[in-house]
Amino acid sequence: MDVVRLRESFARVAMHGDELPLFFYSDLFIRHPEVREMFPVSMAAQRGNFVDALMKIVSQVDRVDDLTAFLQGLGRDHRRFGAVAGHYEAVGASLLATLEHFSGPAWTPELAADWQAAYGLVGSIMTEAASADEQQRPACWQGTVVAHERRSFDVSVLTVRPEPRMDYLPGQSVAIECPSRPRLWRYYSMANAPRPDGLLEFHIRLIDGGAVSMALTSSTITDTELRLGAPIGVLTLSQPPSGRDLLLMAGSTGLAPLKAILEQAAALPQPPKAHLFFGARNADGLYDLDSLEKMAAQHPWLTVTPAVSADPRFTGETGSLPEVVARHGDWSRHEAYLAGPTEMVQEAVTRLTSAGMAKDHIHIEDFGWSEP
Amino acid sequence: MTTAWFDEQDRAEQDRLEQSRVERALSTAWFDEQDRLTPEDLQTATFPLTRLGRRGYEEEPVRGFLRMVHAEFVRLVNERTSLWQEVQQLRRRVLAGDTDGDPQAVLFGQADAHIHAVRILSTAQTTADRYVADAQAYSSRVTEEARLRRDHIMQEAQQHSDMLLEDAHARAREAAVSALNLPASPQTDREQQAARAELAYLRTYSDVYRAHLRAYTEGVLRSIDEWERKEAASVKEVGQGHASHQSNGR
Repeated sequence: MDVVRLRESFARVAMHGDELPLFFYSDLFIRHPEVREMFPVSMAAQRGNFVDALMKIVSQVDRVDDLTAFLQGLGRDHRRFGAVAGHYEAVGASLLATLEHFSGPAWTPELAADWQAAYGLVGSIMTEAASADEQQRPACWQGTVVAHERRSFDVSVLTVRPEPRMDYLPGQSVAIECPSRPRLWRYYSMANAPRPDGLLEFHIRLIDGGAVSMALTSSTITDTELRLGAPIGVLTLSQPPSGRDLLLMAGSTGLAPLKAILEQAAALPQPPKAHLFFGARNADGLYDLDSLEKMAAQHPWLTVTPAVSADPRFTGETGSLPEVVARHGDWSRHEAYLAGPTEMVQEAVTRLTSAGMAKDHIHIEDFGWSEP
Repeated sequence: MTTAWFDEQDRAEQDRLEQSRVERALSTAWFDEQDRLTPEDLQTATFPLTRLGRRGYEEEPVRGFLRMVHAEFVRLVNERTSLWQEVQQLRRRVLAGDTDGDPQAVLFGQADAHIHAVRILSTAQTTADRYVADAQAYSSRVTEEARLRRDHIMQEAQQHSDMLLEDAHARAREAAVSALNLPASPQTDREQQAARAELAYLRTYSDVYRAHLRAYTEGVLRSIDEWERKEAASVKEVGQGHASHQSNGR
C-alpha cells in the first residue's frame, strides 16, 4: 500500500467538498436500499462525520497502533446502528465507486488496489472489535422511562429502567435514541452509581432547537421506550485509587457523571476527601443542589460549593466556575474531575495545569470517535 | 501474401493510433494537478498581522468572503467534474460510432442510469436536509424567544414582589407611627403604647400584603386558565390535522 499515493488521492477527491459524501451515501442507498433506515432523515451531520473519519483514517493509516483504538471504538459503536459484516462490504464497494467517480483519469488499478487494501484493513479491525464486543454485551438496551421530573426551566431528570440490567462504571455515558426522533443518538451520562434496582438517572438540559433534548425534556416522555447504546467513557474513578483528594467541577448537567462518581466514592471503605463545585448561569440552574447538600450533610468527607455566573441576587459564590475554583486555593495536589460545557472544561484545564496540576491528574470525557 | 501481411501490419498500426487517440481524448481536459489553487488553500490561508495597529482589514468580513469564495470554488470543481464526465461519455460514444440512429442512446447509455439515479437521490437528500435544518432553526428561535420571555416575566415578577414588600412595609410603618403618636392616657404606660404600635404595624402589613397577594394570585390563575384553553384548542387542531393527514396519505 502506497501511503503517499493514497493521501494525494484523498486530497484530490476531498476538493469536491460535500459532493463526495453525498455521492457515497446515494450510491450506497441505491445499491442497498435497506441500509437507508439505519440513518436519520437529515444526513447533513452524518456526511460531516463520514468525511472527518475518512480524513483521520487517511492521515493515520501508517500509524496503525494509534488508529486501531479509534477503529475498534468505531466498530463497537456501530453495533447499536445494526451494522453487520455484510454492510462493511457494501460500504467498501460504494466507497471505491465514489473515489473512482471523483478521481477522473487519476484513478488507476494501482490506486484502486491501495484503497481496497486500506479499506480492507479498516473494515477488518472494526468488524473484529464488533464481534468481540458481541460476546460480552448486547448491541442495544431497551430503556423504559419510569419517571420524568422537571427541575428547572430547562433541566429535567429522567429515571430509566434498562432491559436487561446494564453494568457500567460511574461516570460513563450511553447514547440515547427516543422513538419520536428515530436514528438521532445523543450521549448522556448516568447520574448514579449502579443500584440494586438497576435504575438509571439522566439529567437532560433543553438545548434551543435540540431535536433530542426537546423530546427528552417533554413530560410526555414518561413510559416511552428508549434505546440505549453500550456504556462508554473514561471519566471514571482511578483504579486503584490514587490516594489524592478529589476536586470535582460540574457545569450545569455536567453534574451527572460527577454525582455518579461521588456515589461510588461514598461506598468505598475509606472515601477520599472531595470538594464539588457546582456551577450554573443563575440560581435556577442549580437544579440538583438540594440533593447535593443532603449528600454533603451525610458525608463529612464531602464539601459542596454552588456558584453562579450571571445572577446578581445570588448570595453565594459568583463568577465562572474556573474562577471560583481558583479563588479557593491551591489544588495542585488534588485529582480533578471535570464535566460541563466545552469552554468551561477547557478553561478549567488551562487554569489547573498552569497552577501546577499534572495533566495525568485531570480527568475529562473524551469519546474520541464520536461527538457527545 | 505479402500484401496481406502489410494489410495486417497496417491495421495493427491503425488500431494503435486509434487507441492512443482515444486515450488522449479521455485524459485531456482534465486539469493539471500540480500547483493549482484548491478550495482548501483558500480556507487555510493565513496572512501576517500588521504591526501598525489599525491598518489591517476587519478579520470577520474577510473570513466571510473567503467562505463564500470557498463554497463557489467547490461548486466550480464539481461542475467541471460532471461536465468532464459528460464530455468523456460523448467522446467515447462518438469514437465508437455507436449511434444506431437512436439519439437517446447516445446521450443516455445504460451505464449512466446509475449515476443519474445517484444524482436524483442526492438532490432529494439535500432537499430533505434543508427542510430539517429549517424546522430546527425555527424551533430554536421559538425556544429562544420563550426563554427570553420567561426571563422577562421572572424579572417583572421579582420587581413586583419587591414593590409589594416595600409598599406593605411603608404603610405599616405609617400605621405604627400614628399609633405611637396617639395621646397617651394616664393608665397607658409606654410599653403598652409600643406594643400597640407594633400590632398596628403588623396588622397593616399583613392586610396590605394579603390584598396584593390575592390580586396577584388571581392574575396568575387567569393566565393559567387562558393557557389551558389555548392548549386544549391547539391539541384539538393538531389532532384534526393529523387525522386528515392520515386519511390523505393512508
